[in-house]
Amino acid sequence: MKLTAMTAALALMAGAAWAEEKTLDIGVSDALTGGGAVYGLPQTNAVKLAAKEINASGGIKVGDDVYMLNVIAYDDKANPTEASNAVRKLIDRDGVKYILGFCCSGATGAVASFIEFEDAVMLVGNAAERSITTREIPNLTRTRPPADYTGAAAGTFVAEKGHKRVAVLGALDVGFYASYVDAFEKELEKAGGEIVSREAFGLKDRDMSPQLTKIRGQEPDAILVVGYVEPAAFIYRQAVELGIDVPRYGFTSGSEEQFTRVATSEQMEGVWDLRPTELTLLSASENGKAYHANYTEEFGIAPSPSSPYSYDQTYALKDAIEAAGTVEDTEAVAAALRDIAVPDEVVMQYLPVDEKMFDQNGQAYTSNGAFQWQSGNWVFVQDLPSDAAAYSAFLSTLDD
Amino acid sequence: MVEVLQQIINGIAIGGVYVLIALGLTTVFGILGIAHFAHGSVSMFGGYLTFFFVTSWGFPLLLAILIALLVGLMLGVLIELLAYRPVRDANHINAFIVALGLTMMVEGINLELFGHEQVVIPTDFSRVFNFGGVTIPELRLYVILAAALLIAAMTVFVERTKTGQAIRAVAENRDAAILMGVNVKTIPLVVFAISTALGVCAGVMVGSLFAIAPGIGEGLVVKGFAVLILGGLGSIPGAVVGGLVLGITEALAAGFISSAYKDVIAFVVMISVLLFRPQGLMGKA
Amino acid sequence: MLNVSNLRVSYGAIEVIHGIDLQVNQGECVALIGANGAGKSSTLKAICGLVPATAGTIEFEGQDITNQSGHSIVKAGITMCPEGRQVFPQMTTLQNLKMGAYPRKDAEQAADVEEMMDMFPILRDRAGQAAGTLSGGEQEMLAIGRALMARPKLCIFDEPSLGLAPKIVAEVGETIARVKEMGKTILLVEQNSAMALRLADRAYLFEAGEIVLSGTGAELQSHPDVAKAYLGH
Repeated sequence: MKLTAMTAALALMAGAAWAEEKTLDIGVSDALTGGGAVYGLPQTNAVKLAAKEINASGGIKVGDDVYMLNVIAYDDKANPTEASNAVRKLIDRDGVKYILGFCCSGATGAVASFIEFEDAVMLVGNAAERSITTREIPNLTRTRPPADYTGAAAGTFVAEKGHKRVAVLGALDVGFYASYVDAFEKELEKAGGEIVSREAFGLKDRDMSPQLTKIRGQEPDAILVVGYVEPAAFIYRQAVELGIDVPRYGFTSGSEEQFTRVATSEQMEGVWDLRPTELTLLSASENGKAYHANYTEEFGIAPSPSSPYSYDQTYALKDAIEAAGTVEDTEAVAAALRDIAVPDEVVMQYLPVDEKMFDQNGQAYTSNGAFQWQSGNWVFVQDLPSDAAAYSAFLSTLDD
Repeated sequence: MVEVLQQIINGIAIGGVYVLIALGLTTVFGILGIAHFAHGSVSMFGGYLTFFFVTSWGFPLLLAILIALLVGLMLGVLIELLAYRPVRDANHINAFIVALGLTMMVEGINLELFGHEQVVIPTDFSRVFNFGGVTIPELRLYVILAAALLIAAMTVFVERTKTGQAIRAVAENRDAAILMGVNVKTIPLVVFAISTALGVCAGVMVGSLFAIAPGIGEGLVVKGFAVLILGGLGSIPGAVVGGLVLGITEALAAGFISSAYKDVIAFVVMISVLLFRPQGLMGKA
Repeated sequence: MLNVSNLRVSYGAIEVIHGIDLQVNQGECVALIGANGAGKSSTLKAICGLVPATAGTIEFEGQDITNQSGHSIVKAGITMCPEGRQVFPQMTTLQNLKMGAYPRKDAEQAADVEEMMDMFPILRDRAGQAAGTLSGGEQEMLAIGRALMARPKLCIFDEPSLGLAPKIVAEVGETIARVKEMGKTILLVEQNSAMALRLADRAYLFEAGEIVLSGTGAELQSHPDVAKAYLGH
């Protein structure tokens, strides 16, 4: 009897000793250079940070095996062709099954168009184009809510502020920015307001004073700036230079540092950013504060507000793999992703639908917030009126 | 009316930058018949350098610009000696390929040394002047004044100095210039040094007014050549008029027609001008 | 003053000057005559450093200037008034004249400009006008004036009468005579052999890249071959 017990104990010990420590390669396709790098580089860093933390706390446990994460990141330059190539390389050459990152809609849309036919799972971060999650691709999920979900909330907020004539200056050739503005307009019009002009600028434009001069002539109650951080920062600065003193609202998700590189803090004073409640130091949860500190220590620079989308992806992936009990069966992992609750470690403030992090479209929802620039910082002022369940139902009715 | 004036002011600043870029391109083209595509990237290098001196070494802005200018002068001499002189007497396609190769090289060096992030040269000029509703930010005013000063200096140099006249002479008739005793080996050095220095000034202006980032220099050089064609190849007054016309047209197009198509409209205006004056605004038929 | 010996010039593989010797002495006016393509202009270009000499030497005031760069030959004191005038078309008449004084560093340039304008009054009327808008005869005067602005020791004229109206040709001839009276040494290439030989103290006759005849202007003028082939009588 004793012998049996000892044998059993030995066997258990041996079993434990033989529980192999394996490596699981996860891929990142994101913009590391070029215009999209302001979003893509921090996202890539965030995946690396999450992987390091997961490894340090014992890795991902699948049955008897423990997997340590190894991150392989490629630069897709926010370009559709480059992104397709990067993902092909990850799947075909590196044998990767889980691909994260994806900051920018054009590149993400290109990969989303073929990922369904691959033995892989795609986790989309900051890309905001709505159509990425309208086709219910079973092996794709996204942490960031679509732009129009936020745009509608922003429209309601600005209407509640009493503004009737809003001038829009945006990167309107980019689909998701245009859809933000459309949803914004719908809500504004419900309250009797109108958009008095829609001016456009390109990603590389830095002189928006002609557009602003035109807007100044229309005497709007407020302006709405929708676009990438770098041109947006110039717009805020040039608006002041042109003596435009109406409230400035925006949808840009840039960090303090990104803005002060272009405009002075005085020029930014009072600007609103109406966006998903992303990371800001003053509003962050305990997780957010820890993330900010760890990220800053690891990379020597503060994380961008949108970077946690990919950090959270990594933890969602961990939970899904552990729930599915396999790293090989990507279908099972993809199904598990749509079934998990919001992981404890996430930084963003998700609004679960049916208590699940991702809805049947593979879409997650965060709360939306109104942030205002006050003396050099983005300060969280209030939640925007957002209805995740209603939007999720609406998203399910779309299929283009 | 205020709006039109404001748009014109808006356009003059960027127009001034176009003029400086085009002046460099036009003198090089006039003397050597070379389309110096690398000019934009070299100009941005000057802007980056100024940024680096100010932010990393804490130099005062003017000192940083001065050093960048001197580096620009030397860089121009080196470019002529090492890149273009060896293909001086060869087929024109050789110089063309050298120009393209040089562009890629300088862009690569910029990326390697200064990274991919956009760079804004910090200045303390954040006041805004208001003249009856037309606003001019302090920095823009300085940029416009500096551009005007440089254009005036360049004009005086070309019209009133011996070296300047020699540059014109070589551009108009190389063999006759030799017979006047002009050393046609040193003139290109002078031309490249001056062009590059003007380019560096443009780079600093772009970098402080807007931002320097990979690709910006290439965009500027395209505008520079557009100005050259608009104003008349090799013509200095043409570069000045062409640059201002392009800058102001862009601003008016964005302000009164469509901001999405401002570049298209500017090029349509350019093509229409060329239909009626194929030699350019100031070019000789 | 100028001593050319055994000069050979080639364009690529084709030799166009087959070893010629010629001299120009101080104060002389020497003419090179001959048919089109006989090698007169190539000889001048070699002297001025515009084309390289493949063999032989060119000495100026005892100094070897063979294959020197064009601008140092100008500095040495040789100026050419080129064929087709070659004024700088977009520069003004005044700027063209000043360009002529490019190698000079002295303070008398302004005075010389005045002198040229006295010599060619039409240039004064046209001073502010772009040189390209001047008539052919005016441009020729400008080209001559511009060449003199360098205060050359040796002044070379390459086909000064080419393409000008007969009345202007005579005027050009007079001008060259005046330049000679100023004490300048002159080397003249001219298709109009009659005019050239009238002006010249001595002359060389070129044929197919060689000098076939030389002598005083009067000698050549009366030489039967020359008279028949080039003077048309």
